[in-house]
Amino acid sequence: MSNKAALTIACPRAELERLWRESGYLDGVAASVRFADAPGDRGTEIHVTLERGAPGGKLGEALMKLTGREPLAKVKDDLRRFKQEVETGVIARSDSVPEGELAERKLKQRPAHPLDPSEPDKAAV
Amino acid sequence: MRANVWSGRNTVQVENVPDPKILNENDAIVRITSTAICGSDLHLYDGYVPTMKRGDILGHEFMGEVVEKGPGVRNLEVGDRVVVPFPIACGNCWSCKHELYSVCENTNPNSGLAEKLFGHATAGIFGYSHLTGGYAGGQAEYARVPYADVNQIKIEDDLPDEKVLFLSDILPTGWFGADLCDIEGGEVIAVFGAGPVGQLAMASALMMGAERVIAIDGYEYRLAMARNKAGATDVIDFSVDPDIVEQLKELTGGRGPDAVIDAVGMEASHGHGALHAIDRVKQANRMESDRGHALRDAILSCRPGGIVSVIGVYGGLMDKFPTGALMNKGLQLRAGQAHVQRYMKLLYEHIKNGDIDPSFVITHRLGLDQAPDGFETFKHKQDDCVKVVLNP
Repeated sequence: MSNKAALTIACPRAELERLWRESGYLDGVAASVRFADAPGDRGTEIHVTLERGAPGGKLGEALMKLTGREPLAKVKDDLRRFKQEVETGVIARSDSVPEGELAERKLKQRPAHPLDPSEPDKAAV
Repeated sequence: MRANVWSGRNTVQVENVPDPKILNENDAIVRITSTAICGSDLHLYDGYVPTMKRGDILGHEFMGEVVEKGPGVRNLEVGDRVVVPFPIACGNCWSCKHELYSVCENTNPNSGLAEKLFGHATAGIFGYSHLTGGYAGGQAEYARVPYADVNQIKIEDDLPDEKVLFLSDILPTGWFGADLCDIEGGEVIAVFGAGPVGQLAMASALMMGAERVIAIDGYEYRLAMARNKAGATDVIDFSVDPDIVEQLKELTGGRGPDAVIDAVGMEASHGHGALHAIDRVKQANRMESDRGHALRDAILSCRPGGIVSVIGVYGGLMDKFPTGALMNKGLQLRAGQAHVQRYMKLLYEHIKNGDIDPSFVITHRLGLDQAPDGFETFKHKQDDCVKVVLNP
């Protein structure tokens, strides 16, 4: 199983590194983060490498993948959210994924119609 | 509010659902005055697009009046009349900055799901499965429009809804299909599929300077519309003679069309006996998602060095893809969900100038509550149906 994730964000490197430090994403996660200038006008690449796989060996890995709690999936969620915040100022939310990109939500999608005001608690994964 | 929701294969129903709310500061809420059923909605209806869920509000062609806006929306006011493009774009990512709006990098909150199927995520789309974000659609009384500064065009004159509604999808999609053909003047363009998008692709190709446009379909009434309204110079009815490739060669002095537009997609209904039977069985058993006669024949008939433009919707994998013809004839294969935001302004001008009136495709006008009848009539091509518009 891969332990790497990468995204490109349309933002100059120095500014992106500062925004990343302020964001608090991946705080407490055993991972190394590397920034690199993307070619042309594409901004900055952010590369994350998890230092170790899931606890519990292969079986642990498989279980976590099924429930969407696999560490790399969480890293990817965080990277996508960070990119959305940097590039658009908000996190993309739809009716079926109101909290924004979330690995656990992949298998537990809400229907794509608006939440009832009483519903947010029930909708949580 | 009332909304038309998907409730299983071949079933939609109009239900009461909660009203949409502002979820982000750059959202707007639109009260929908007109919406339509798209040919691509039929792929959802027929159950060929994965990741649908009971209760999903359908519809990605809609327009209406802004009734509420978040504090981050800058170029809209409550009361503005807007048409909303079907792909949801953020306006800020590299793809949006390069006018590749339908592959916006930020608007699909199910990108993890989409990456598994397509390698990369594409933009969010209203009412079009969870693969494209799980956004509620516009066959409803109201809709939430995210990134509202980018995802609308203001209609600032008194043109009726019917003339501008199709800026949401089928007019820009048809135009995009023709734009991919690099028309400079004097070309012969063949269009597979005389549904609403095919009709508007034909009209667009002629506006761009194509000399001849050949419409290909299996329904006489749709070919009549192509000839009489869209301006097709020739028609091929494959219900009369299924050998489309030979007929196209005959019509073009053996050359083949300079470019071919596939406005059919994954549920092609023509095709030669045995291959069609295999495709039909495999698709029915979910062993193959895309039935590919239109695309195969497009590749086989296109002149060497020509362009094949794919705007019909495909969802997964196809068998017997003619790679040999594609490669050895040196064809260019171009495709995509239309980058609607790229063309809206230009096409609105064309409508205002009277260069095109896309409302010629409308054959049925229904209330929102009649949406289920609209789907059945459209799917089974009853009552010479080409395009259904719904008024909530």
